Amino acid sequence: MQYILEAKRLCKQYQDKLALKDLNLQIRPGEIFCLLGQNGAGKSTTINLFLGFLKPTSGAAYIKGLEVASNLTKVKEYLAYIPENVMLYPNLTGLENLSLFSSLAGFEYSKDELMRYLLQAGLPAEAASRRVGGYSKGMRQKVGVAIAVAKHAQVLLLDEPTSGLDPKASNEFSELLLGLSASGTAIFMATHDIFRSKEVGTRVGIMREGELVDVLSAAELNANELEKLYLNYMHV
Amino acid sequence: MKKFRILIKYEWLNFRADRGLLILSLLTLMAGLYGIYYGNTEIVRQRENIADLAQLTEHNIDELKQKYPGEVEAGDIGYYHSTFAVNHPDSWAGLSLGQRDVNPYYIRLRLLNLQSQLYDTENINPLKVLSGNFDLAFVLVYLFPLFIIGLSFNLLSVEKEQGTLPLLLSQPIGLPLIVAAKLVFRIMLVLGLALLLSLIAMLWAGVVPDVRIALWLGVVVLYCLFWFGLAFGVAAMQQNSAFNAVTLLGLWLLLTVVIPALLNVYVAVKQPVPQALALTIEQREEVHAGWDKPKQETMERFYARYPQWRDTTEIEGRFAWRWYYAFHHLGDVAVEDLARQYQGGLLARHELVDRLNVMSVPVNVQGIFNALAGTDLPAHLAFMQSASHYHDSLREFYYPYLFKQVAFTHADYEKEPRHSFSSGPDLDTAFSGIVKVLLSVIFVYVLGVLFLSLKETVVK
Repeated sequence: MQYILEAKRLCKQYQDKLALKDLNLQIRPGEIFCLLGQNGAGKSTTINLFLGFLKPTSGAAYIKGLEVASNLTKVKEYLAYIPENVMLYPNLTGLENLSLFSSLAGFEYSKDELMRYLLQAGLPAEAASRRVGGYSKGMRQKVGVAIAVAKHAQVLLLDEPTSGLDPKASNEFSELLLGLSASGTAIFMATHDIFRSKEVGTRVGIMREGELVDVLSAAELNANELEKLYLNYMHV
Repeated sequence: MKKFRILIKYEWLNFRADRGLLILSLLTLMAGLYGIYYGNTEIVRQRENIADLAQLTEHNIDELKQKYPGEVEAGDIGYYHSTFAVNHPDSWAGLSLGQRDVNPYYIRLRLLNLQSQLYDTENINPLKVLSGNFDLAFVLVYLFPLFIIGLSFNLLSVEKEQGTLPLLLSQPIGLPLIVAAKLVFRIMLVLGLALLLSLIAMLWAGVVPDVRIALWLGVVVLYCLFWFGLAFGVAAMQQNSAFNAVTLLGLWLLLTVVIPALLNVYVAVKQPVPQALALTIEQREEVHAGWDKPKQETMERFYARYPQWRDTTEIEGRFAWRWYYAFHHLGDVAVEDLARQYQGGLLARHELVDRLNVMSVPVNVQGIFNALAGTDLPAHLAFMQSASHYHDSLREFYYPYLFKQVAFTHADYEKEPRHSFSSGPDLDTAFSGIVKVLLSVIFVYVLGVLFLSLKETVVK
């Protein structure tokens, strides 16, 4: 089966710091890969390399077999991204923000369709026509989810997506991810949330100081075992 | 192209929702409208004054006719009769007043020595030299760059600072397209406003349609593109908004204040011009000394220069008008070289500024506007030259009466020459200036593209 997301000996060196060291990784369609690690472990660097926001020092990142660095615009047709803190145009409404990003992704939706995506992401109907400048972090995050879903992406890159969401919203988000996964979307999620990783992940990777030190099957461990293992790696 | 249009549309939505930018645009529009009003009001005032001059001349003639009901010596008329050399404004003058309200636009002339009359009102409004005029050219040259800076200082940095750049760049679009859309939207907005103001000003002033309309609009477009090029270049360095704002305001200050001031000092040192006052004093001393010099010596000097009057009657008695006008005339002759140096020096200074203005696009563009409106220094010097020729023609008219001792009658007033001069554009200066602006525009955009391609985009 063809891998939809792939890293081959991917390295990123900043001036005096090796942020990512020889990452080799393959993710299939429908798979949810959760990447655990402390702050500065290299999780966001990995996502930024897949997004083409950073140029690799060596090695390469691939999406649908296309090298990201040399196919920047093309690969972005296949992926959607939800950052830790979704920031939107504060002077535009939620609907206008969603319409902008969907249009740029090549999808022209009617107002009703846009509203449906926002409601599906959990945004209250009355908020959709308000300026985003007055939204809470959680509300912005939901618009971010709607933007990602409306793009019908084959790869979803998530960087701490549930940060700032209340437990109910987090749970709804998990269900959303499982639904997308079931429809064939590959999901790569950087997170600190061990329990969410166990809950939704197909595989869980543990990253330490720029190195992917272990990849585990989520089905073979319970949450406590995963946490113990993770903490062991962090204290070595 | 479709994505470009989408980005432009959302730039418009963002602009429409930003109260600060709306107020800034409104203020610029109001400043432009006031500039148009100011320039046109000044020119209307000048035209009204010029219209009054003809009545003053007629009034003066009526008084002289009453004073001298019969035949009279032409010397009396030459002494008491005033006429005017007038610099009629071009229809474009209201758009760019240039030097029209600091240099005299009319000169009262009598048959006496010319030079002291030419510089009698050398500078009629010195404070304006300091502050400048609030005409449309001022708004376009000095205030529009601030408007452009206000719109563009955070061209790219705002996306980073409000955190929208990662989400934007995760869509299938590149950074150059985003920057281009932002730039094009702002260019359309600013050019729309600048061209609208220019067209309003042209209609208001009632300009005669000619090539200058295209040249003016072309300069406006290039000048705005130049400032957008600078904003693009600074944005391409990918620093924060505060850095961009300070850098762009620094460039504005450098190009509109510091370099022009340094150019002024350099040109004054490099191209010294004799003072008009020195010229007037020397001529005055020569004329006053004429009273004490033997009449025959004065007349010999005069005849040596104008032999056509040698065979006329000899000077007798204590006073004769032809002797009086001869030593006045010799007063002008005495400062001929100085006058030529003064006029030539001013022109050379202007030409030096014209060569050096490549260092400051605002100085260059102001010069182009003045050249198109016929309000620059060469236009004023041409008027002075024309006034000088007019005075020559007055002498040619009166001297036969004086030297052949022909009586002056009421019918002779009508035969007196009249002056006519209208400032016109200097298209050569405008063309060469436009080429320099075009080169400056190309330079700043090449620099911007270079910065953008060399600098790795830090998305977060």
